[in-house]
Amino acid sequence: MSTARTIAPAARSQRSRRDNIHGWAFSAPFLVFFLMFLVWPMISGAVMSLTGKSLTGANSGFIGLANYTEAFADSDMWRSLGNTLYFTLISTVPLVVIALALAAIVNMGLPAQWLWRLSFFSPFLLASTVVSLFFAWMYNPELGLFNDLLAKLGIPPVAWLNDPAVAMWAIVIATVWWTVGFNFLLYLAALQNIPQQHYEAASLDGAGGWRQFFSISLPQLGPTTVMIVILQILASLKVFDQIYQMTEGGPGGATRSIVQYVFEAGFTGYRLGYSAAISYIFFGLILVIALAQVFITRKRSA
Amino acid sequence: MKQVDSRPMQMTRRQLLLGGGVLAGSLSLGASLTGCGGAAQAAANDIRFWHLLSGGDGIKMMAMIDKVNADHPDFRIKPTVLAWGAPYYTKLAMASAGGRPPEVAVMHAARVPGYAPGGLLDAWDLDLLAEFGVRPEDFGPRIWEKSQFNGQVFSLALDSHPFVMLYNTELADKAGVLGKDGRLAGISSPSQFLEVSRELQRVTGKHGLSYGYLGDGAQMWRLFYTLYRQHGADFVLDPGKPAQVERDVAIDCLEFITSLLDNTISTKSGDGGTAIAEFASQGSGLLFTGVWELPTMKTAGVPLGASTIPTLFGTPAAFADSHSFVLPHQVTLDETKRRGVYQFVASMLKGSLSWAEAGHIPAYQPVVKSKEYAALTPQADYAHAADIINYDPEAWFTGSGSDFQGYFAENVQNVFLGRDKAADGWDAFMKRINTVLAMPNPV
Repeated sequence: MSTARTIAPAARSQRSRRDNIHGWAFSAPFLVFFLMFLVWPMISGAVMSLTGKSLTGANSGFIGLANYTEAFADSDMWRSLGNTLYFTLISTVPLVVIALALAAIVNMGLPAQWLWRLSFFSPFLLASTVVSLFFAWMYNPELGLFNDLLAKLGIPPVAWLNDPAVAMWAIVIATVWWTVGFNFLLYLAALQNIPQQHYEAASLDGAGGWRQFFSISLPQLGPTTVMIVILQILASLKVFDQIYQMTEGGPGGATRSIVQYVFEAGFTGYRLGYSAAISYIFFGLILVIALAQVFITRKRSA
Repeated sequence: MKQVDSRPMQMTRRQLLLGGGVLAGSLSLGASLTGCGGAAQAAANDIRFWHLLSGGDGIKMMAMIDKVNADHPDFRIKPTVLAWGAPYYTKLAMASAGGRPPEVAVMHAARVPGYAPGGLLDAWDLDLLAEFGVRPEDFGPRIWEKSQFNGQVFSLALDSHPFVMLYNTELADKAGVLGKDGRLAGISSPSQFLEVSRELQRVTGKHGLSYGYLGDGAQMWRLFYTLYRQHGADFVLDPGKPAQVERDVAIDCLEFITSLLDNTISTKSGDGGTAIAEFASQGSGLLFTGVWELPTMKTAGVPLGASTIPTLFGTPAAFADSHSFVLPHQVTLDETKRRGVYQFVASMLKGSLSWAEAGHIPAYQPVVKSKEYAALTPQADYAHAADIINYDPEAWFTGSGSDFQGYFAENVQNVFLGRDKAADGWDAFMKRINTVLAMPNPV
């Protein structure tokens, strides 16, 4: 710092200009893609949401906020949004809690650690199509594994993907099995970073395993938990693949996500303008959630 | 998305080296973002052909294309197979709207009203077609009528593929429901049908009828529309107006189907795969399905009979659609290629006897009237279905694999499962359809 003060103003500005050029040069590849695939689509999407543009190329021109007025009165839009929020709620909780539990168990020093890590994480590497196919077979009401197990326990069959009350849970079960490994790894890494001395000191003071977990591990995992929750909420809000492949949004629209509704409005219903309007409404909602999270976490860390 | 160019890429060493050179050159010039012309450009006599036929149908289609290619060295058909339903139709629409469509494609005839008015399709030139020996009178009247839109011919049907009933002749014989001619004895009322199904159930000990519908709007709609049309009832969709339907008839049909799904005659919880497996393993005597399932059952060794769905409500009727050839709109038309397309389609129609082996009824009448076709059993037993077929009600959002069938499933599946009243499910479906009809037509 002290050397900077001694440099003449002219030299400093020359250097900062050079820094600037280097900075732009280094960022350019990223910026090009950022502008091409994020900023430009966002602008053209916003413009499109104000038109009656159709997938077939017909463009009925500027129609103002008509698409938005229609969307706000569209019960299917609200229902899909509600389904998405419901999925986010019931998937985020187990995806965080189970990941933590699995990480804590593995971190206790089980033999063959690599085997546990591999078996918890490997489902995450599968394509959503593969996972959906597996589970659709296992959920098959007549031939599936799940109902077969239930039958052996004397429990009547469940229409996993065809009962509106059960279908979303069935998808959550598949999703948890598929993706919990990622959060598990994050938790495991964080757990292994907690200095061993804390535990040694605690056990000298006579703290048992549970006490150590709640008083040392959990508080130390705070920042990791915040990060996992945020990432998970955003991931769950974007749910589409596994639902589309397992139920196509059925039965009776009970599992249709907002992303699927955007897809249907635009690509099978041809109404690109309307579809863009719905995605902007969804975008607004995500923005609100993201800002709320920033606000809450900032308050916490302050 | 599944996108298969079913012809293996054949590249000579020189092409590979040249391609590598071009790639390296473009990289060194920093031009890699400007897109690639060379490698993607088709040869001058290549005709791109998109279709949606996979599985056994796809293999048959490929063999037919190979034959046409072998017979006509002046062009080469390059097929691209895309997944059935929304993936296929959205891609076809986007490619056409974006100005890069294939020269020829297969569509379901009932989907044409969603494409033709938007300028995504070109009309067929009947004079040019006649030059290659295909004339309007070569098609059955219902199929030919369907090929028109606004007075022009937009689609040329390769087949019609109705929803039919397959039966197991051995089980039917044991149940005593076969006629003297070895075919299922005439069933002409709902109660008769229930009785025959129960007899068959007694023989199999499992179910009388296999009908997989769960999670499959197309399958629910096919049976419903067959029975609805058997009542002689109309189903008219006019954008801007509410749907014109006969509510009582519709509810009656839904209730009848629900009565079949009583876990004795047929399982309440059957999807497509379950039904096929059940019928193939002789766990039932009847199967409601599309004709395209015929080869599967033959391979499975089921002693097979086939007929249209029995006329239970007075008027013979069967739901069907047609795989039809269409001309996606070309921004710059290549006359030579277009002639090739006509030649190709004419050859496919004339060679459609091998398409009949996949279960479909050829649309091209000279094939249907041939001796070879008459010898094809049980296909020949339902050939008359082409006279009683009913395509989806006409609108831009109907047809095979469309949202319309999805809406139907959304509101009717719970009726079939016994959770909703037929009237409630129907009214909810109509509410949805009327909403769509009230929207501005995006085509």
